[in-house]
Amino acid sequence: MTLDHPVEPLRHGFREELDQLRIQVELMGVRVDENLERMRQGLRSGDVMVADAAYTADNEIDAMNVSLTERCYLLLGRESPVASDLRFIVSVLRIVSELERVGDLALRVVKLTPKHDLLVRSDVVFDILLTLADEAVEFFRVALRAWSAQDLRLATELATQTRNLDVYYERLISELKRLDGPDAVRIAIAAFAAGRALERIADHSAIIGARLRYLITGEPAHLAAEVR
Amino acid sequence: MVSETNLTEPATVDESVNITPEVGESSAPGPAPEVVFDASGVDVYYGAFRAVRDISVQINKNEITAFIGPSGCGKTTVLRCFNRMNDLIDIARVEGKITYHGVDLYDPEVNPVEVRRRIGMVFQKPNPFPKSIYDNVAYGPRIAGVKENMDDVVERALRSAGLWDEVKSRLKASGLGLSGGQQQRLCIARAIATDPEVLLMDEPCSALDPIATARIEDLMQEIKDKYTIIIVTHNMQQAARVSDRTAFFTAEVNPESDTRTGLLVEIDSTDKMFSNPSDERTENYVTGRFG
Repeated sequence: MTLDHPVEPLRHGFREELDQLRIQVELMGVRVDENLERMRQGLRSGDVMVADAAYTADNEIDAMNVSLTERCYLLLGRESPVASDLRFIVSVLRIVSELERVGDLALRVVKLTPKHDLLVRSDVVFDILLTLADEAVEFFRVALRAWSAQDLRLATELATQTRNLDVYYERLISELKRLDGPDAVRIAIAAFAAGRALERIADHSAIIGARLRYLITGEPAHLAAEVR
Repeated sequence: MVSETNLTEPATVDESVNITPEVGESSAPGPAPEVVFDASGVDVYYGAFRAVRDISVQINKNEITAFIGPSGCGKTTVLRCFNRMNDLIDIARVEGKITYHGVDLYDPEVNPVEVRRRIGMVFQKPNPFPKSIYDNVAYGPRIAGVKENMDDVVERALRSAGLWDEVKSRLKASGLGLSGGQQQRLCIARAIATDPEVLLMDEPCSALDPIATARIEDLMQEIKDKYTIIIVTHNMQQAARVSDRTAFFTAEVNPESDTRTGLLVEIDSTDKMFSNPSDERTENYVTGRFG
């Protein structure tokens, strides 16, 4: 007998700004992903040129972090967002800082490029490092896909699943303990630094998933789960 | 002056319509809030036109409850049910049940004048009487036959309304000479001078500047220990700032008559309503996606 009163969409400008913000975060994620690819190449080949490109790209990532953070502050001040809009902007603030962190961790591995000769001296260790890098990059790509599609299933998977990567990381540590020979300590230090950074990249990707999950659901339990 | 059904006169109080809250009577376990108003299935008609339908809501003691929603969704109509202001409109008719501390507010035995003494109202536009500041505040208590020293009553009300220091030296000056924000606080002082339990505020800040608005909002926080407040506001940030619970109303169109009927979508803690409301219509409204 009765119909809902027809309602008109409002605040077009604000909606567009939020859309833009989502796309810009995705773009920043793509820049980070490109650097992860350089990191992987540098690790595999020891190519110093690739490392240089990664340093330049990281400056761009840092600049995006600053400008997106400024945009968020501006929207918070100007638009007084509430409910899902507020969660969105705050999530963007937190996720861009995760992206920036992933970028920095990639650079830690890139900085080891000159030590390529050293790392390849242990076949087993080098092999595990390359696998860890593959896993970490893949994990980050899931986070990026989850963000672009605002996909709750992927986000939940990231936030909750157990990872193969942790098994490889444990193996790396036990292999490092077993190293001997004149370069053992130097190899162990470099490989540990790389392995740890790669493990942290996966951790930050999981946090992106957790933040995205809370953004989508607004469940207090999901907010609590972010803080791990 | 005192009508036969005036509930201030103990001799005429019928036990069944004693609207004095009895502390301790509600034996609700734990920290369950005391319910002041309990409306269930309330419809309000203006003639044949149904302005709001199926309103069921509880208002808790010493809480600030905000009513939000687009224009024409019945917020003010529902607010006016709580002190029988709709009685003053000939064609208005309230169906369903509204109790005040368990007493049927629309029971024929209940005196609407006494209801309005206990349930004060502040309107959208400040509307002081064209009298002195003092007489504006003293008007209600005089009519109610308050025996207490009137100077004390006036001072206490003006202090509660946060206006005393600004007007104490010119109590005999006209209330109309005050600024808009001061006039509204004078109206609040006038409303609380009769020592009501509930304050109904119908967009009390919509005619005020941001500073005067902030003062009224501070005042609401200061006095909520003593009063139960319901505020209708178009300013969602205001609802978010001042209220403990928020009710969201909307309207539906009746296709045959092209009229609109208001309804309550949901009521919940204000934190919940502005962070993660249960109903999508609320989410769309508070985020300004739709109007």
